[in-house]
Amino acid sequence: MLAIYFISSFTIVALLCLAKNRKTIIALSAIFYTFQLYCAGDVALNHIGETQLNFFTFDNLGALCFALLTVVSALTFYHSIRYLDTETPSQFRLYNQLLILLCSAITATYFANNLAVTWILIEATTIFAAGLIYHRRDQKSLEATWKYIFVCSTGIAIAYLGILLMSSAAIDGELSYKALASAIKSGNMLYMKIAFIFILVGYSSKMEIFPLYTVGVDANLVCPTPASALISSGLVNAGFIAIFRVFMLYKETPIFPWISNVLIVAGVASLFIGVLYLRQTNNYKRMLSYSTVENMGIVAIGLGIGGYGVYAAILHIVAHTLIKSGMFFQISQVGKKYGTYRINRINDYLKYCHIGGIAIIAGAIFLLAFPPSGLFVSELMIVRQIVILEKWWLLIVMVLMLCIAMYGVLNQVIKLSYTESKRKTTDYKIDIIGVCLSFALILSACILGIWQPEWFVEFINAILNMYEV
Amino acid sequence: MIFALIILYVITLISISITERFRDYASIIAMQGWILLLIVLFKLQSIHISELIFVLTETLLFKAIIVPAMLFKIIRKTKTNHIYAIGQSQFPSLITSIIALIASIATTYYIADTATNMVFFGVALYALFSGLLLIIRRKRIFSHLVGFLVIENGVFLFSMAIGTEMPFLINIAILLDILLVVLMLGMFLSKIGNSLKSIDVDAETLTTLKN
Repeated sequence: MLAIYFISSFTIVALLCLAKNRKTIIALSAIFYTFQLYCAGDVALNHIGETQLNFFTFDNLGALCFALLTVVSALTFYHSIRYLDTETPSQFRLYNQLLILLCSAITATYFANNLAVTWILIEATTIFAAGLIYHRRDQKSLEATWKYIFVCSTGIAIAYLGILLMSSAAIDGELSYKALASAIKSGNMLYMKIAFIFILVGYSSKMEIFPLYTVGVDANLVCPTPASALISSGLVNAGFIAIFRVFMLYKETPIFPWISNVLIVAGVASLFIGVLYLRQTNNYKRMLSYSTVENMGIVAIGLGIGGYGVYAAILHIVAHTLIKSGMFFQISQVGKKYGTYRINRINDYLKYCHIGGIAIIAGAIFLLAFPPSGLFVSELMIVRQIVILEKWWLLIVMVLMLCIAMYGVLNQVIKLSYTESKRKTTDYKIDIIGVCLSFALILSACILGIWQPEWFVEFINAILNMYEV
Repeated sequence: MIFALIILYVITLISISITERFRDYASIIAMQGWILLLIVLFKLQSIHISELIFVLTETLLFKAIIVPAMLFKIIRKTKTNHIYAIGQSQFPSLITSIIALIASIATTYYIADTATNMVFFGVALYALFSGLLLIIRRKRIFSHLVGFLVIENGVFLFSMAIGTEMPFLINIAILLDILLVVLMLGMFLSKIGNSLKSIDVDAETLTTLKN
């Protein structure tokens, strides 16, 4: 199945080279996203537990993120059609090719069962994402691309050092997660500690947490907005999975509490930075990017504290993906209408698109984890676990930071929707179907906060059972 | 012989911290490429012949020839050859580099175990620190690029310190890493050079993305 998926994506990318007009490009790309949707269903229903092509295993966590990726990438493609309406066919073609290749690399990362393969695929995502960041071919995109490639490469080189250190414990150079999980226990624990720090630093550029979160923020700012939705959800999830799998390798080792504390520190630092810059920024895309840093910080804290926190971290990933991508799609419409993403230049959006304005307010409220958002449930579970562990300092820091984030984001979003504006807007006609589809994404995260279907809970519990959490 | 090569490698790391010309940077990176080639030749004789050929070819082609050639091309194209716009003393850089060397030795003695080649481990750590120092202390982005290349070479050396048998996957990983280096160099050569006119680009000038 996976071989067919890769072959089809490469074939469509190759066929796109021959496409001369937008219609053909759209038709070919649509085939890929439809097939991807079928693959996601097939994996979740029929292939869980199977290993294919030696280096890929279909597990519940990968299948869950893959399902989310298919939805987000299909909507990214849909929104890109109107968002990139002034692009030449060749620019539009290259954009779609890179999008498909990025989706394939992310999918492969989700299912990789080997430490080195994960690393290689993470590096591959850097190349394809860099192409999307450079889409505009202007000074800003050049700078962002340079920074993205440079920082990601430095990070990935550091992660590679971590992998090498970890491989010192490997038996016969076997780097599959399964083999490493048992081999690591007999390794040099000091090496294993350093290895985790190196890998965390390297992959932090993808998961957008402290310390290398900056590249993701710049990338989202410069990228065409629909692609930003994919980067700040699908690619971020790839970073999460890469870190999660390495983190779980340590579960049986005596240094697991130390490793957990490292994740908590990284999470708190991300939360602090995200919240700090959320209030300072004057750009909606940047604001959403810092919100990703903040939310991934919460995920890292959830993983670090363990217990209910792990379930909460996975739920947080699901809800965040739905809300954040939905918000980026909404903001893409706003950007097209106003010709800018600057907060001080966008007001009175409700006048132009009532449902879009409501969607943005609702999205912001849900993103800030107000009930009935899915993020509210996950954050409540994390707080519950913190109380159980009696880590009061963490509770105070987290609650304080979340309050500051609420004030910052709501202040900006209310300006966007209500404040009266005398500025001229463009002639762009807002895509109501697109607005409704992305609103549906946001609302689906809200449903997860009210009611989680039994199969969904079982799906996440299967992930926890697999790692015996 | 390997020990002599390692000493030579350490000397290149010290000299890269005090060099004042981009041309010297490129020469040192080329020299490091050739030293790594010789180290591979002497150190990895026990691995499978096909893997040895792969690693040797990759080191010779990329680390010793292509990457330095691209660096020289960038310098020729942009016609700027000094690290600083005005002359500055390199003494603080030398002191920082020596502190990094001492820190690397101390760290190696503290953490290295019997399964690890301590000399390789220490020098690889020093290379990592040297690369990071170049990125942090120097303002011009060409220096950052060289810093990244120094880290890459350090990582390569590190892979030999750990004593793994350089499995096929790790070879592929090195190759992909090199692909990114070439991509970065190509981008610098064709895009940043044209757009920003000269190599005389400070990291501080790359600020259009600031809020």
